[in-house]
Parts: sequence; structure tokens; C-alpha cells
Amino acid sequence: MNIIEINQLTKYYGKHRGIENVSFSVEEGEIFGFIGPNGAGKSTTIRTLLSLIYPTSGTATIFGKDCIKHGDEIRKEIGYLPSEVFYYENMKVIDVLKYSASFYENVDMSRIESLSKAMDLDLNKKIEDLSYGNKKKVGIVQGLLHEPKLIILDEPTSGLDPLMQQKFFDLILAENKKGATVLFSSHILTEVQKLCSRVAIIKEGQIIKVENINDMRNSSYKKIIVESQEDSIEKLFGFEGITNLTKTAEGVNFLFKGDINTIIEVLHKVKLQNILIEEPTLEEIFMHYYQKEA
Amino acid sequence: MNILMQELKMGRKSLIVWCASLVGTFTIFMMLYPFISEQAATFTKVFESFPPEFRKAFGLTTTNLGEVLGYYSFAFLYIILAGAVQAMNLGVSILSAEVREKTGDFLFVKPVKRTKIITLKIAAVLIELGIINVVICLANLIIINLVSKDAFDMKLYMLLTGTLLFIQLFFASLGLAVSVFLRRIRTVLPISMGVVFLFYIIFLLNQTLEDPKLAWISPFGYFDLAYVSEHVAYQGKFIAAWFVLSAIFIFFTYKLFTKKDLPSI
Repeated sequence: MNIIEINQLTKYYGKHRGIENVSFSVEEGEIFGFIGPNGAGKSTTIRTLLSLIYPTSGTATIFGKDCIKHGDEIRKEIGYLPSEVFYYENMKVIDVLKYSASFYENVDMSRIESLSKAMDLDLNKKIEDLSYGNKKKVGIVQGLLHEPKLIILDEPTSGLDPLMQQKFFDLILAENKKGATVLFSSHILTEVQKLCSRVAIIKEGQIIKVENINDMRNSSYKKIIVESQEDSIEKLFGFEGITNLTKTAEGVNFLFKGDINTIIEVLHKVKLQNILIEEPTLEEIFMHYYQKEA
Repeated sequence: MNILMQELKMGRKSLIVWCASLVGTFTIFMMLYPFISEQAATFTKVFESFPPEFRKAFGLTTTNLGEVLGYYSFAFLYIILAGAVQAMNLGVSILSAEVREKTGDFLFVKPVKRTKIITLKIAAVLIELGIINVVICLANLIIINLVSKDAFDMKLYMLLTGTLLFIQLFFASLGLAVSVFLRRIRTVLPISMGVVFLFYIIFLLNQTLEDPKLAWISPFGYFDLAYVSEHVAYQGKFIAAWFVLSAIFIFFTYKLFTKKDLPSI
């Protein structure tokens, strides 16, 4: 069953593009990554799902219900952590959390204690006295408090130190084990790689690919580094399947997807100094998506 | 309900400060009353030497400073002005604060309809205005009784004091409408001061121009204290105008805010 279904969702801010014809779906129980550079439209998509903004066209459903029409019902089961968190400055942490809990039915109040213990958060401080990272922790506790069925994270790790990031990931994984579906937006690939099973890649307001993260990595992408003194060696590798071709002082390197024999056929005619064939990092695969077409 | 309690809790301090300063200002005005009433004849003479436009502008034409309610309607005008600013502040900030303080991403992702949030916030404004009007009505009554032993018309007192509530409700609803119309409001006070004084100046101008059309523009004219003192009544046509305009502002608030995009941080 699909928890989130986004269909041809388009949002324009006046004449400015937010997102265009975004479509993807998130299945129940998965951790779904949503990846793209700044300004690609990640937050726009998420804010539409939460009906903080209204789409220009297209639809989105969560739990099978329309996001805009049944927004209030849907949000009962959603926990949201924005990239930057702000709370009522004059309130104490505990009061913010209690206020937040008061919006939901049957909240297990002991979770305030256990979650903030896990995140090492002082409940008696005032919001205005908290550092950025600590405010973020309030956001995490607040987002997970009511045991939501869908957790939406919009670049959640900024401001958290690596130790806290790890604790945060552990919490998310624990919620996921209990059955929560997670939509995780980020521009940092490694953290998505750690958690997610599938990813949607968004660029300039459009989804360019939805892929299984393991497939992506185990796909026949190879990173090939060729060292050779021959002139204009890069011209030999102008065929299909080659991406990110760059010429270096020693020779050339590129990503290759396809039949490895075609490469060998070319290579055996060349006098080589050295050759490396390795698994590319996801970072390198993504660079290929990110680079703007000239 | 939780939103209403939260709003009242957050507005508590500011409400106390406003109550205290309005009552304080009024007390100072009224402390001058024994002195002025003793020499009312002299004062009236001084005022009569002023140009009539000036006297009209300050509401000193029909006012008898020698009577306690006459002096009251003169002093109370300033409380109304300040009260209008306070009400407009409330109206402008109650919804826009969530955007300005960037807490909208907290409140508006909660499982509550936007219309309900608007309703509860408006309820909070009404309660706060109710409190401030009750406080002022009682405090003024006590102060008047302290500075003057003369009997006065209770009905006229209530009508004069009641103008504050009407004017505050008008500016609060105008403030709400303004706040949903503007995309993002960085500071509230300049907006409310500007609008309130603009309407007040229109009212002052019309005191001398006496243009019946211009009278419809300013809510201060709807509840002109001089008229109320003279007739011991409000003007029905202006009450109707007040009601229609306030209702339009509130309608506009719901209409726009339920469809408003909340700007991201």
C-alpha cells in the first residue's frame, strides 16, 4: 500500500517555479529518500503535502486521502521536522512539548521523558536560551512524540553534531521498525545512503529519477580511471554508457554503465600506464544527475 | 481550546501593560479635573478665544469642562486613540506572528483546520478586548468617583465608555484583514499607529469640514463623543456601518487566510 502518492504536483510562486509535475509514491513501512540540491523543490513538495502551501495543479494523497481536503485528519498521523525549527521563545521546552501533545489524541506522555533522554535534552530550559542544535532536538522530540505513522523529515540533521545525528538516526530506525513510514529529504547523500531504501532525485523542480538505492549502487556503474600517455585519449571514449568523462594530467576517468567488453575492446588498443576499475561512490553517481545540462 | 489558552497566556503580559498604562494615563488626566472644574469659567473663556476649527478638532465645542462627564469625554478621547492602536496591534499580530516568529511550521502542521485556528485566535482577541474594556470601565468609574462628588448620568457614562469597545472591535478586525492581505509583516506597531492616526486625522478634518460623505470614512466619527454627550445615544446608521465593515473584515480574514501560502523560512 502507498502511504504517499503524489501525482503531477505543480507549484508556482507567482511566476517562479517551485515544482513541476512531480509524481512519486512512498510505500508503507519504507524509508524513502528525497534528494536534490538547494532550491530544487524538496521543501516545496513537502510543504504542499502538509498543506502549508497550496498546489497550482496536481494532487497528493496521504493514507489515501487528499492532502488539501482532509489535511487536518491526515496530520493526526504525521510527525514533521523542518530544516529550521522555531518555537514560542518564551516557553519552556516541557511546555512546548505538552502544548504539542495537546493537539493529538492518546499521547503517551512518558515518551517526552524517554525521547528527550535519548536526545539529551534539558526540559526545563526556555526556548530562547537554547542553542540551534538543542532547538533541533526539541523538534525531533516534538515530531516523534505522538508516534506518527508517517514521519516527514526536511533536511533534519543540520545543526546536530555527529553523535546526535547517530542517535537521531537510531530513533528514526526504531520508529520505522515499529511500522512508521519515513520521507527523508536531504542534500547530503551519505545520510540518505545510511537509512533509505529508495530515493527520488529532484532537480530544478522536476523528478529526474526514482531508484532503489542498492540497485543504484550495484548497478553496472563502474568508475574507470585510465592512465596513458597517448594523445587525445578521451576521444576514444565518446560512445554510449560513458558519463562524467574528465581528462586529467595522467589520462582520463569516467563512469561507465553497460557491457564491460565494449570498454575492454577499446582499451586493448591503447598503451596503458595504469588502470583502475572500481565501484563509484553514490556521490559520484549523483553528481552526474546534479550537473546542469550546459 | 488549547490554542485559545496558549494565545491568552502569550498575550497576558502585554494586556496587563496596556491596561495599566491606559488606566494610568486616565488617572493623570482626571487628577487635573478638580483644578480645571474650579476654574472652568476661565478655561472656557480661553478656549473660546481659540479659532472654532481648533475647538472642534479637540472636541471642545459642546463640552462643558465644568461637568465631570464633560471633562471625561475630553480625556477619554485619548484613551480611545491608544485603545485603537492596541486593538489594531492585536488584530494585526495574532495571525501574522506565527509567520514572523516562524512558528507557523509548528502550529499549522498540527491536526487542526485553518478555520478553527482563525476562530480560536479571534476568540482570544475578543476575550482580551473584553477584559480591557471591563477593567477600564470599572477603573474609570472608581477614579471619577474619587475626583468628583457630583452626581452624573450613568447611562451617558456607559455610552461614552462603550465607544471604546466599538472602536477597538473595528480596528481589531481591520487589523486581521490587513495582516492576511500582506504577505509578511515585519513590524506591527508602525502599521497600527499609521492606520489609526490616519483615520483619526480624517475624523479631525471632518470636524471642521463637516462633510456628510467623509463622515462615513472614519470610525472615530461613527462614535463621536460630542454627539454621544449631546444626544445620549449612538447614531443607528453608523452602528450599521460599523457592523457591516467589521463583518466584511472578518469574512475577508477567513477567506484569504484559509488559502494563504505560508512562506517558508
